Amino acid sequence: MTPRDLLPIAGFAAAAALLPLFVTAGTWLNFMIFTLIICLAAQGWNILGGFGGQYSFGHAAFFGTAAYGTAILQLRYGVNPYPAFAAGIAAAAAVGWIIGVLAFRSGLRGSYFALVTLAFAEVFRVLANSAEVTGGAAGLLIKLDVRPENFQFESRANFYWIALALVTGALVLTRWLERSRLGAQLVAVRENESAARALGVDALSVKLSAITLSGAVTGAAGGLYAQYFLYLDANIAYGTWISVEALLAPIIGGAGTVFGPVLGGIILHSLAEFTKTLVGRIPGVDLVIFGALLILVVRFPPRDIPGLLKRWRR
Amino acid sequence: MPTATKPAGHAAIPPGTGGASRRGLLLGAAGALAAPRLLGAQPAPVRLGILQPVTGALAQDGEYGRLGAELAINEINAAGGIRALGGAQIQMVFGDARSNPEGGTAEVERMQGEGVVAVVGGFASPICLAASQAASRYDLPYIVDVGVSDQIVSRGLRNTFRFGPGFGAVTRAALDNLVTLNNAAGRPARTVVVVHEDGLFGSGMARLMGNELPSRGFEILETISHPTPARDMSNIALRIRALNPDLIIPSSYYAEFVLLSRTLQQRRIRPKGIYCVLNGAASNFRFVREFPDAANLVMDVNHWADPRKPKTAELRRQVEATNRFWLYNTPLNYSAVMLVVDALERAGRADRVALIEALAATGPGFDRHIMPYGPTRFVNGQNQSAQAVNTQVQDNDIRVIFPADFADARPVFPWPT
Repeated sequence: MTPRDLLPIAGFAAAAALLPLFVTAGTWLNFMIFTLIICLAAQGWNILGGFGGQYSFGHAAFFGTAAYGTAILQLRYGVNPYPAFAAGIAAAAAVGWIIGVLAFRSGLRGSYFALVTLAFAEVFRVLANSAEVTGGAAGLLIKLDVRPENFQFESRANFYWIALALVTGALVLTRWLERSRLGAQLVAVRENESAARALGVDALSVKLSAITLSGAVTGAAGGLYAQYFLYLDANIAYGTWISVEALLAPIIGGAGTVFGPVLGGIILHSLAEFTKTLVGRIPGVDLVIFGALLILVVRFPPRDIPGLLKRWRR
Repeated sequence: MPTATKPAGHAAIPPGTGGASRRGLLLGAAGALAAPRLLGAQPAPVRLGILQPVTGALAQDGEYGRLGAELAINEINAAGGIRALGGAQIQMVFGDARSNPEGGTAEVERMQGEGVVAVVGGFASPICLAASQAASRYDLPYIVDVGVSDQIVSRGLRNTFRFGPGFGAVTRAALDNLVTLNNAAGRPARTVVVVHEDGLFGSGMARLMGNELPSRGFEILETISHPTPARDMSNIALRIRALNPDLIIPSSYYAEFVLLSRTLQQRRIRPKGIYCVLNGAASNFRFVREFPDAANLVMDVNHWADPRKPKTAELRRQVEATNRFWLYNTPLNYSAVMLVVDALERAGRADRVALIEALAATGPGFDRHIMPYGPTRFVNGQNQSAQAVNTQVQDNDIRVIFPADFADARPVFPWPT
């Protein structure tokens, strides 16, 4: 990886970091923070699904584990939110590794793997809904104590910069992956696992590394969500909504590319916001328009943003 | 000054002259100068945020909540606005919480941008928790309409108020009233089966019943859980038949409870009573209208409007005239908006900090609500007199049977064989 590789990422980060200096309205900062959280979750999905070709329908398992980890360590064990956040990410990575071992060792691929990940997320949701430690169905409320050392900020801009720093970190990680041996092996496994094996690639270990990394990045999004909204329940943490958000953004923005998830996340959320403004205050119509647009984008080629750009260049 | 009251449009330009006379110009100029002063006499409208989930899983509740807030706002505006603010009209700024906490937070941020003086609503506890927290950043008063989680008012947020009762108060009332009801009828019920959904508050409620009922003289024969959604209640009904309890205590959502009560009815399983707590169906006219036989005599402990207040009947007529059901969301939101109006009248200005102070100081003088509560008094944002009441479906209507101060019917318990 050369400094040249990092130039676009640095450009994006610098431009995005300046935004809160011009946009101070809470509405927009809140929108941008939530979009960045989704982008981060989507970047996690992209490592496994985009580069590795292992489509997961259950990234909520990682999102929720880190979110609950961050919250539980603070609430039950009095751990400072920053180490709790780091531990939450580690827990999500561990869950990724465990699901990987169970699924990949059994040789699950394609739709079978997707269904197993979905099942894991659902099992976690049901367990979190009834377990004592997760607050059961009542959920967990992180105590409101606005201090920077407590990972809670008076100004939303500070939270925005932290979210942006994590997204930038994930972009650098993805760029490194793209240029590294592991990334090349991962792409080889995605394109033809048998051929990759024949060339001496240890497919299992490559896929395990990918799902662990993927779990950690999506987990970071979960931890951020918990710290930002300070409330969690099983449907928020392990609900299918986040699994869908995490896979939709890279698919629209370009799976297996560095900027795809960020681009997709920003476009999807801006589109949702735009349709909301477009139809005024008639509830639900914006969701219908958003859904219809999504169907059109996915149904008709070029299907994603890079495809569209290629077509324009021709 | 006569020129000031004479409309500028009357500036006399003699027909056919094709130009403006000196007198006309003077009149016009005077009118133009006076216009802003006349407009200035109209007080600026007070913007009030109404937050409800009107899309997603909670859309029905959100719609009925919005209706209640709208009715209150229309009533205040028709009666001349807020007197202390020179007759300022209330302008509703509506936000769809999308049935999730992020949606609630995003809408509070938008409302803050639009300069609302307070936010009312939220419906579900997770939405109320997140939205009131977002509002607290701006010292924006937040009045919870329904959300019963006790955590809502235990966070030390100065801006958050709840006019209705919390979970602890509701369940305490449910248990105490059950004992009173049973004792008054000669203790016909001694054995209980608890049926609960395995999510949200169903499990918590079951645990609470498990801890509290034995010490109150009831024997729990079995606690049966079911998932949400559940497609079939036959096995649960058969189990209940085998156990033959005196009382069934269900804690389920609308569809599941309707399914359970219909299955019990079809299989002719008739206990001495069905006693619900915060049930999604037993205090819902949709259930009463669609399945009158299954709903008949089912009891619930829930939010409900005070049936003795004339305003309640008037509001109910207005709601039913629009082909909608009378649900508790409507009176709760109506009352919450009235609470804000009362505080604005006392604060004398549409200032958030003054409004928070006025809300906290709300006293027994607040009588524009239609809930069956005693004199209003807020401690840490919670109205101390808020309470749930016991309702029972009788003659295709939902009646209040307890407490006696607010009741409009006598309980039918045990059920006639």
